[in-house]
Amino acid sequence: MSVFLECHQLHKQFDGNPVLDGIDFSLDRGECLVLLGPSGCGKSTLLNIIAGLLAADQGELRCDGEVLDAPAQGFHRPMRDRRFSMVFQDFSLWPHMTVAENVAFGLRVRGAHRSRIREQVEQALARVRMSDFLDRKPEQLSGGQQQRVAIARALAVQPRLLLLDEPLSALDARLREDLKTELGALLQDSGVTSVYVTHDQSEAMTLGDRIALMKGGRIEQIGPPEQVYREPSSCFVAEFLGSSNLLPYQRQAHEVAVQGGLRLSLNGQAERLPAQGNCMLRREAVCISQSACCPGDDVIELSAICRQMHFLGDRHEAFAELENGHTLRGIADGPVREGATVRVRFPRNALRFLPD
Amino acid sequence: MVRQAFLLQRLPLLLCLGLLLLLTGYPLLILFLQSVFPQILGGSLSGFLEPYQRIAETTDLGAMIGTSLLWAGSVTLISWVIGIPCGFLLARTDIPGKLWLRLSLLFPIMTPPYIAALSYILVMQEGGFADAFLGGLPAGLRAWFFSFWGVSTVMALASFGYVALAVEAALERLPQRFDDAAAQLGAGLSQRLRLILLPLLLPAILNAGLLVFLEAISNFGVPAVLGTRSNLPLLPAEIFYLVTSWPVDLGLATSLSSLLCLMALAGLYGSRWLGQWIGGGRYRPGPARQLPIGRKGHWLGWAFVALLFLLSTIVPYLAMMLSSLAEGWQGGRPALTLAHYRELLSPGSRGASALLTSLGLSLSAATVCILIGGYIAYVGSRNRGLLQQLLDGIATLPRVIPKIVMAVALILAWNAPWIPFDLYNTVWMLLLAYVIIYITDALNYANASLQSMSVNLENAAAVLGANRFTVFTRIVLPQLGPALSAAWLVTFIVCMRELVASILLLPPGTDTTATFIFSQFEQGDISLAMAMASLTILLSTIVLVAFQLRRRSSH
Ligand SMILES: Nc1ncnc2c1ncn2[C@@H]1O[C@H](COP(=O)(O)OP(=O)(O)OP(=O)(O)O)[C@@H](O)[C@H]1O
Ligand SMILES: [Mg+2]
Repeated sequence: MSVFLECHQLHKQFDGNPVLDGIDFSLDRGECLVLLGPSGCGKSTLLNIIAGLLAADQGELRCDGEVLDAPAQGFHRPMRDRRFSMVFQDFSLWPHMTVAENVAFGLRVRGAHRSRIREQVEQALARVRMSDFLDRKPEQLSGGQQQRVAIARALAVQPRLLLLDEPLSALDARLREDLKTELGALLQDSGVTSVYVTHDQSEAMTLGDRIALMKGGRIEQIGPPEQVYREPSSCFVAEFLGSSNLLPYQRQAHEVAVQGGLRLSLNGQAERLPAQGNCMLRREAVCISQSACCPGDDVIELSAICRQMHFLGDRHEAFAELENGHTLRGIADGPVREGATVRVRFPRNALRFLPD
Repeated sequence: MVRQAFLLQRLPLLLCLGLLLLLTGYPLLILFLQSVFPQILGGSLSGFLEPYQRIAETTDLGAMIGTSLLWAGSVTLISWVIGIPCGFLLARTDIPGKLWLRLSLLFPIMTPPYIAALSYILVMQEGGFADAFLGGLPAGLRAWFFSFWGVSTVMALASFGYVALAVEAALERLPQRFDDAAAQLGAGLSQRLRLILLPLLLPAILNAGLLVFLEAISNFGVPAVLGTRSNLPLLPAEIFYLVTSWPVDLGLATSLSSLLCLMALAGLYGSRWLGQWIGGGRYRPGPARQLPIGRKGHWLGWAFVALLFLLSTIVPYLAMMLSSLAEGWQGGRPALTLAHYRELLSPGSRGASALLTSLGLSLSAATVCILIGGYIAYVGSRNRGLLQQLLDGIATLPRVIPKIVMAVALILAWNAPWIPFDLYNTVWMLLLAYVIIYITDALNYANASLQSMSVNLENAAAVLGANRFTVFTRIVLPQLGPALSAAWLVTFIVCMRELVASILLLPPGTDTTATFIFSQFEQGDISLAMAMASLTILLSTIVLVAFQLRRRSSH
C-alpha cells in the first residue's frame, strides 16, 4: 500500500465563514474513505475541492505524488485534467443522451477509438446490470437505474479516483439498501480508490475501509469503521455512530464517580483520564431483564424501573430509570413489562471515558 | 335522458367550440375553399386549383415565395446570432447591471417593427439623418441597407429580444451539474458547449426562433415599408396589394395566403420535430454558477449590448422624435416645433379621431379577449377528451396563422353573399378581427394560471350550492385576476399598434393610429406620421408603467 491522495491543512471560506478548517488526511491506493458527518459540516465542500470544482484557500492537495492544489503557489489543476470521476446525488445524467451515450461520453471526449468505446461501455453497463437499457433515455429509467448508469458513466473512464457525493440519498429506503450492497461489491472488485460522502452511518460502515467523521469543517476522528465505533475519540463521535448512553463523570483521586450513583476504581487507570467528561455505554452492552442474576466481578448490576419498550424488529429496546432518576437505554433480555422493576447489567470493560 | 344529461354537462365545452369554429374555423375554411374553387363565392365550382396552377407557372411568384422563406430564415438566423450571446451574458456571467441590460432588451420588443422600419428609412435614405448629421453615408452602406440583408437586420433588431429572453430563461433552469459532470470527465469548453449546453438549450432556441420566424414571415409592415423600397417583394405585402389594388385577384390572394399558412405550420411542426430529435429531454431545474468574465469581459459585454441598444432603440427613436418635432428642413438641420402634436390632438382632426378609434377599439378588444379567453381556457382546463383537444387546437390556431391571412379570411367570410347583415365595412369588423387575432394571448396567460389552481376550490363552492355561473364569476375569475390583467395589458398594447388587420378591414374614411402613420408616411407627411408614432408608443408605455405601479402597490 502506498499513499495515493494527500490533503494537508486544507482551508476554505465562503464569504468569510470558515467551512473547512484544516483538513488533514491521506488515502491509500484502492482504499475507500467515507466522509461522514451532519448536514453542513463541509463534506461536499471537501469533496468538491478534491474534484477540482472548488479551489482551496490554503493548504495542499496531492494525488499520486503530483500537486493538484497549492494556493500558496497559486496553483490549481483544473478539474478536467485530474482524471477523477464523480457521482452526484441527483444523478445528473444528460437528459438528451441515451444511456449508452451518457456512459460513452467520457471516452468520447478523450478521443478513444470507436470499438474501444463500445467495448468499455458494454463492460461498464454490465457491471451495474444495466446492459438491457442501452438505448433508453434517462427519463425512462427509475431513480435506482439512473444512479446505476451514473456509476457506470463514472467507472467507464477508469478514473484514478472515484468521488461520490451522497449517491444513494435520493433513493427510497429499500432501494438504498440493495444498491448499497451492490456498490460495496463494485468498489471492491474494481479496486478503484474512492471518497464517499454520506450522512448515513450504515452506508459508512458498509462501504468504508476507513471513516472520517467530520464536524464543523474539521475531521473529528478518522479510522477503520470498527475502531471509530468502538473507540470514539469524543462524545460527538459516540453520539453520531450507533446508539449509546452518555453519563457525565468526575474523577476523584483514584476513583471515578459516574452520574447514576456509580463509583468505580479503575485499577490505577483512573489517573490517566481527564478530570471530568462523559462516560459512554453502548446500547447493545446494556442488558435489561426482570430476572435477577448473580453479578460477577467485571459485571455491574443496578436496579431500575422499566419506563418504555420499543420494538426494533429483531429485539426490544428498553429504557430503564435508575434509582437516582437517570435513564439508561439498553436491550431487553427476556420478557420485560413497562413499569416493572428490572435489573440493568453491563460489563465493566464496556465503559469508555471521553473528554467533554 | 342519459344523452341529455351528457349534453348538458358538455354544454360549456360545446358552446366554446361552436364560438371558436364560427370565429376562426369558418373564415379559414372559406379562405381555403376560395383558393381551391376561385368562383365559389359566385356559386360556381369552376376553375378548380386554377390559382395554384398560376403560382406554379409564374416564375416571379415562385421566386417571391422562396425569397420570403429565405428572408424570414435569415431574420431568425441574425436574431439567434445576436440574441443567444445576450441570453448567455444575462444568465451565466457575473456582468453587473443585469436589470438595465434586461430592460434594454424590452424596448425593441415593445417597438412595432414597422415604426422601426419607417424610422430607419428616415435615417438611411438619401438626404436623411445619417447624411445630415454624419455628413454623407458611404454609398455601399446605403445600398446594403436597402437590400435583403439590410431589411433582414432591421427586422432582426426588432425581434432578437425574444431569443435573448428565452435563452436566458432556459439557461437559468439548466442545472450546473450537467456541465460539471462533463468537465469532470475531461470535456473542454468547446466540447461542453457543443455536446451538452447547445443540445439542452435547443428546444428553447428553436422555440424562440420559431416565434421570430413566424413573426417575420407573416409581418406586413416591414415588407410593405422597407421591402418595397429595397426591391424586395415579400409575400404579405404581395397579398395585400392583390386584395387592395385594382384588379383585385382574390383567387391568387387566397392561394398565396394558404401557402403562407402552410409555411407557418411547417415551421411550427418542423421545429418541434427537430427539437425532439436532437435535443431536449426532461430534467429537474437546478441552480447554476455564474461565470466570472473579468473586467474586460464586463466591458465587452456592455459594449455589445449597448451597441444593440443603440441600433435597435436609440437610433430609430431619435429619428422618430426628431422628425415629429421638425418644422421643415433648413440646411440639412431641422427647426423644432410642437405644431405636429398640436395638430394631432386638436379635436375633430383626422389624427385625433384615429387616436380615439384606436383607443376605443383596443380597450374593448382587450376586455372582450380576456373575458372570452379566460372562459375558454377555464372550460378547456376543466374538461378532458377529444373535444377538449379540438378546442385547444382551434384556440391556438390564430397564433400560427399570419395576421394578414386571418384578415383576408375575415373579409371573405363576412362579406360573403349569404351574410344578411352588414358587418364588413363597419368598425365592429375590426373589433372582431382584433379579438380573433389576439385571443391566444389571453388564453395562454389564463391557461398558465389555471394549471396551478386547484379544482377543489370550485368543488367546494359547488357543494355549497353555487351554480356554474356563480362558480366562474365568484371563484375562478378573481383568482385568474393577475394573469388576466397581464393579458389585458399585452392585448391592449398590441391592438394599439395593429397595422395589417386595420388597414385591410377599416371602413373608408376611418383611421386607426397605425393606418394613420402608414398613410401619412406614404403621402409624405412624415412629421405628422412620426408624431403619431411617438404618441402611440408613449401611450403604451404610460399604460404599462401604470399597471406596474398598481401591481406593486397592491402587493
Ligand atoms: N457556494 C457557497 N457559498 C456560500 N456558502 C456555502 C457554499 N457552499 C456551501 N456553503 C456553506 O458551507 C457549509 C458546508 O456546506 P457543504 O455543502 O459542504 O455541507 P455538507 O456537509 O455537504 O452538508 P449536506 O450533508 O447537507 O450536503 C454550509 O454551511 C453551507 O451553507
Ligand atoms: Mg453535501
